[in-house]
Amino acid sequence: MGPIAINGLISANLNLVIAVFLGMGFGFVLEASGFSSARNIAGTFYGYNFVVVRVFFTAVIVTMVGLLYLSYFGWLNLSQIFILPTYLPSMITGSIIMGVGMIIGGFCPGTSFAAVAIGKIDALFFAIGLFIGIFLFAEVYPLIEKFYLSGYLGHVTLTDLTGIKPGWWAFGFTVIALIAFWVTASIEKKVRKKIKEYKF
Amino acid sequence: MHVHELNPKKTLWTLILFLLVIVVGFITMKRPLLNYEISLQQTTKILKDTSNNCFYPYQLADVLNHKNKNVVLIDLRNKYAYGLGHIPGAKSIPAFDLTHKENVDLLKGYKKNGVSVVLYADNQLAADGAWLFFRQVGFCNVRFLLGGYNYYKAHKDNLEQTKSDDSYLKGIARFDYARMASSKAVTSASQKQKKPVVFHRRKKVAVAAGGC
Amino acid sequence: MNRNYYFLTAIMFVLALGTLFIHERVVSPQISPSELLWDVLQPTRFVTTDQVAKRLIEKDPSLLLIDVRPAAEYDKYSLPNAVNVPIDSLITPAGQEYFGNPGTKVVLFSNDAILANQAWVLLRRMAFKNDYVMKGGINGWMETIIQPKEPAETAPESAFERYEFRKAACQYFTGANVANTGKSSSKVKVVFKRRKKTAVAAGGC
Repeated sequence: MGPIAINGLISANLNLVIAVFLGMGFGFVLEASGFSSARNIAGTFYGYNFVVVRVFFTAVIVTMVGLLYLSYFGWLNLSQIFILPTYLPSMITGSIIMGVGMIIGGFCPGTSFAAVAIGKIDALFFAIGLFIGIFLFAEVYPLIEKFYLSGYLGHVTLTDLTGIKPGWWAFGFTVIALIAFWVTASIEKKVRKKIKEYKF
Repeated sequence: MHVHELNPKKTLWTLILFLLVIVVGFITMKRPLLNYEISLQQTTKILKDTSNNCFYPYQLADVLNHKNKNVVLIDLRNKYAYGLGHIPGAKSIPAFDLTHKENVDLLKGYKKNGVSVVLYADNQLAADGAWLFFRQVGFCNVRFLLGGYNYYKAHKDNLEQTKSDDSYLKGIARFDYARMASSKAVTSASQKQKKPVVFHRRKKVAVAAGGC
Repeated sequence: MNRNYYFLTAIMFVLALGTLFIHERVVSPQISPSELLWDVLQPTRFVTTDQVAKRLIEKDPSLLLIDVRPAAEYDKYSLPNAVNVPIDSLITPAGQEYFGNPGTKVVLFSNDAILANQAWVLLRRMAFKNDYVMKGGINGWMETIIQPKEPAETAPESAFERYEFRKAACQYFTGANVANTGKSSSKVKVVFKRRKKTAVAAGGC
């Protein structure tokens, strides 16, 4: 609740309560859109199910376009929105590890908890592994701290880096996403025809 | 094979709801009468370019004997002060009425016709804020009268001769400050040394942390 | 493929196209023009040289004097403890660090009030509060504090009180006695005694 919390409209305690409800909503949407199934997530990489891509892209473009409009209406102050600080090398490494983990495990951190909630055993083990990973990371942190903090770019946005208006980024990304929807749909069709004989 | 699919109908409804929010936003959006036309950077540049900003008292002479018809004088003082005396031909728009739509439209009309608008009040300072405001919202034809009404009143009859006068000019040092502030001082060197200035720098605005 | 997907794609495309045309809000917060004009017309931002002098003498920690003149002029002379922020650097992040501190009153000054007033308008546009403009600027400072004029005999009591204050302030700021100009009507001759410097043997542990 970034902009609202900063302006003192809600207190820190209420912020926590709201966070609980937001978390519930997030989990509900994850489950409702089928993210709690490892098959749906891993399916993206095997080409028979792109629902994850579609849901994520939809969320991204709706948020992106929506934020620009809200800021235009004066309902939202974009300068007070949290921007994740960019550490280039560690972010690239991290996303590779995460991608590999998603293919192997079939979950991403958030969806694994949604799946634990509906009683999936594979998700339970995934979540346990997640904690072990966090523990290991914390233990070796002194060794990799230098790499972890390298290439710091600050809280930058694409607009800051390139000087291109956010509208163009939003438009470009939306076009890419919309093309991706139709391309993935056709890929799905083809792949599913081929794998008819396999039974899940 | 069961493949989890999105329900396209529900998705469409959600998107329509999203669309509705945006439509409501457009309808309820406040459309201000005036918008900043120039950025802060450009404004600082304008402040340096004094020749385009100010209107000298001797230039008034041409306006008053109708040689220069391309200038409109606007009196920013209140109606009472205007009634007591004003520059002939000046229009009275009290400063607080400047935001009224008809006055803004009037100024827009002048801008369109290429008429220069000269704002004045009792002194330059009183008209300065309003002038800078109008420059920032895009009225490049707005100027202010140096010296203001007080200077005009004192030199009503010899406006032409004020060319050589510079007492109405602002922003220049009238005294040799350093000499003046220390001439009487028999201060020792230690007192002259600048003390380290203590001030607080504003802390960076904290943004709420978050992430997925 | 469901027909609805075509609608979805079309709507989303149009919306994204719309973002190209909507005005981009300026990143730094600015107040609306009408609000700015309203504030510009209020005379409450002006403070007198006497008020500034009083706070300087009292060493008010919440007072921050900002000299908006160019750096060259600042180097020649400026008010005590003033910080130089030329009007160009007001809009840079480094210059803005001085403004908007809670509990700090910033007084802007220049040779006279005009440039400081313009700086104030810029700051107000950038939504900074608690900024003031010293009326008269340094010219006014010299006329009132450093070379105060003696009020006429018929002047009200308050004018004499102010004159007394200014004389004392002048002593404070210049470390010297005010030259008695004109008639020698000042009742009490203020004699400013300066302690003689005693030569101290250099050295020490």
